[in-house]
Amino acid sequence: MAAASTRRALLGTTLAAVALIGRRRRAAATEQIKIRDLYRTNTEFSERAVALQGQRIEIPGFMAPPLKPDAAFFVLTKRPMAVCPFCDNAVDWPADIVLVLMREQQEWVYFNRPILVSGVLELGVAVDQSTGFVSKVRLVDARYELVG
Amino acid sequence: MLGLLSGCATSVDSSKTAAVQAQDSYYAAAQATLQRIAAQRPNTGRAKNVILFVGDGMGVSTVTAARMFEGQMRGVDGESNVLAYEAFPYLALSKTYAHDAQVADSAPTAVAMTTGVKTSNDLIGLDQRGKLEDCETSKTTHVTTLWQMAEQAGLATGVITTARLTHATPSATYAHSASRDWESDADMPPEALSQGCPDIARQLIESNYGDGFELAWGGGRERFLPAETADPEDPSKTGKRKDGRDLTKEWLERFGDGGAYIWNAEQFKALDPAKAKHVLGLFNQSHMQYETDRAKDSAGEPSLAEMTTAAIDMLSSDADGYLLMVEGGRVDHASHESNAYRTLTDAVALNEAVKAAVAKVSTDDTLIIVTADHSHTLTISGYPKRGNPLLGLARGVDGELLMGDDGKPYTTIGFANGPGGLKEGARADLTDVDTTDPDFIQQSLVPLASETHGGEDLGIYAIGPWAHLFQGTVEQNYIFHVMDHASKIGARAAAATAAAPKTN
Repeated sequence: MAAASTRRALLGTTLAAVALIGRRRRAAATEQIKIRDLYRTNTEFSERAVALQGQRIEIPGFMAPPLKPDAAFFVLTKRPMAVCPFCDNAVDWPADIVLVLMREQQEWVYFNRPILVSGVLELGVAVDQSTGFVSKVRLVDARYELVG
Repeated sequence: MLGLLSGCATSVDSSKTAAVQAQDSYYAAAQATLQRIAAQRPNTGRAKNVILFVGDGMGVSTVTAARMFEGQMRGVDGESNVLAYEAFPYLALSKTYAHDAQVADSAPTAVAMTTGVKTSNDLIGLDQRGKLEDCETSKTTHVTTLWQMAEQAGLATGVITTARLTHATPSATYAHSASRDWESDADMPPEALSQGCPDIARQLIESNYGDGFELAWGGGRERFLPAETADPEDPSKTGKRKDGRDLTKEWLERFGDGGAYIWNAEQFKALDPAKAKHVLGLFNQSHMQYETDRAKDSAGEPSLAEMTTAAIDMLSSDADGYLLMVEGGRVDHASHESNAYRTLTDAVALNEAVKAAVAKVSTDDTLIIVTADHSHTLTISGYPKRGNPLLGLARGVDGELLMGDDGKPYTTIGFANGPGGLKEGARADLTDVDTTDPDFIQQSLVPLASETHGGEDLGIYAIGPWAHLFQGTVEQNYIFHVMDHASKIGARAAAATAAAPKTN
C-alpha cells in the first residue's frame, strides 16, 4: 500500500473530535447483533437478521465520517473506516455496512471510537431520495452511545 | 523437506561436552539444529523453476506473531512453533528503502524484486529516473522484469495474489507505469491518456513478451470490465473502465481455445491443468476476501494454497520451467486497519500456500523464496507469560493482568500508529473487551486513519538451487539477481531474442 497518509481519503469531512454523548439506560430486552452476523454470504442476509427485521435492536460498530455536518444519517462499519486504505471510491466500501437514520441529530464521534447504535432494523435495497444513497441494511429511528 | 537438499550429510561431534546442561531439552533441540545445518550443502544446479512468495507487509514481527498464532490455532506451543518457510535452510535480511524514501510502499519494493533495481515510491516498472505521474518520462525509463525475460526465454509465467491483479506487487511482474494507481483508464489523468500511456490492466492483457502470461489469478474484475457492464457476482456493481473495453473478452480472443477466463470457485475447481494454457482468474470485483471472510463470499473464492497448487500443476507442463509469483496481498491491508486477527490469518494462509508448494515441487530443481515487500508497525511486547493467547490481554506468569501506568490492561500485539490511536481522550479500558474478536482493532500511540508501513529489514527465506546465495544483510533488489543467477533466465532471454529478433 502507499506510504502517503493522505492518499485515497474516502470522505474529506472533518469531525468534532470527541462528542459529548449522553449515556442512556439500555433496554434490558433489546437484542444485540454484530454487523458480520447480519449476512450469511456477502450478498445474502442471515436467518437471524431476517428474523430481527422490524424490531428495535442494537448493533456495535464505528461511525464512518458523515457525508455532511448536518446530516441526519451516517454509515456504521464493523471496523474503523475514516480512510479506506485499499479503496478508491464509495463503490469499494465493504458490503457489510449499515445506514443509520437518526431519530434526532446527535454530535458526531470520531471514526475510531466504538459506539452502540439502537434502532429499528430494515433489510433490503433502498435508495434515499435526497442523497441518492443506496443501502441494503438500515437502522431507523436510531440513537447511539459511545461505549469506549 | 530438508531431506531433499543435495549433498552428503556430515555431523558435528558434540558428544564430548562437559556442560552440565547437556540433558536439558533446549540444549538437545539446539544440538539437533546444529546437526541439521552442518549437514546442509549448497545446491549449484540450475533452477528450472522459481517461485517467489511475497507476504505483503509481512515484517519480521508479523512472521513471529504468525508463528505463535498458527501454533496456538493448532493447539500446540506457539512460541517454539515453526512455519513452513522457517524450516528453509537459508536466510538473509532485506533492506527495503526506496530510491526516494526511507520507508517504501509496495511499488518500488516489488520493482526491486522483479527487475533488480530500486526505484521511487509509487512507480511500477520504471528505474530511478522515473517521475510520479509523468507519462512522457515513463516511456524512456522502463526496466524489464524477470517475468518478461522468462517469457522471452520460453518459460511459463504466472502471478497470483489475493489483492487486485493490478495492485502494486503483482503488476510489477508485467507493467510499467508512472503511478501505481493507474490500474484502469478510469484511474488515469486525461493528460497521461492523451500521451499514450496504457493503464495497468491493459498491460497484462496486451503483454507482447513471449506468448504472454500462462496464468494471472487474483481480484480486481472492475479494472478489466467496462463501466456499462454489471459485475457477475454482484449485479448492483459495475466495471470501472471508461474506454468500453472488456479485457476479459480480449484475453479470450487473444488465446483462443487455449484461453480461459474464470471468476468463481466452481469454475476454478473445474479447471483442467492439461487443457488450460492461458487462464485469467478474477475472483472478486476488487480485492479477494480476507482469509477469515472467504467462506462468506457469495461466488466462492479459492484459497491462496489452492491457487498455488493449481498453478504449479498448470505451469509444470512447460519443459522449459516456470516463474511464479504468489502474493499474500492482504496481510498488508489488515495491518493498515490495525486488525491483528486478519493480519495473522492471512499470514497463516500464505504459510499454507508455501506448504502446498513445498509438497508439490522438488527443491532439487525449484528455487523457492519467501519474503515480504515492506514491514508494518506491529509489535509484540509487554511481558506476557509463555502460552498467553497472542491476541489476548497480556498476563504475567501468575495469570495476573499486566497494567500500564494508566492502570489499564494492554494487549500483547499493538501497532505504533493507526486507527487504534485516539486524537483526544484517554486510552480505552480493555478490561471487559474481547480483544481476540476478529474485528478488534489494536491500540496505537499515534492516531492515523491508516496504519503505516515499517522500514526495518525483512527476512528472505530460501530453499533450492542457489538458495545459499541468501546470506547476510542485502539490498532488496538482490533478490532478483539470485533468481536470475539460479535460473539463467536473463541469459536465456538474451539468446532467444538474438535468435529471433522479431519476438520482441
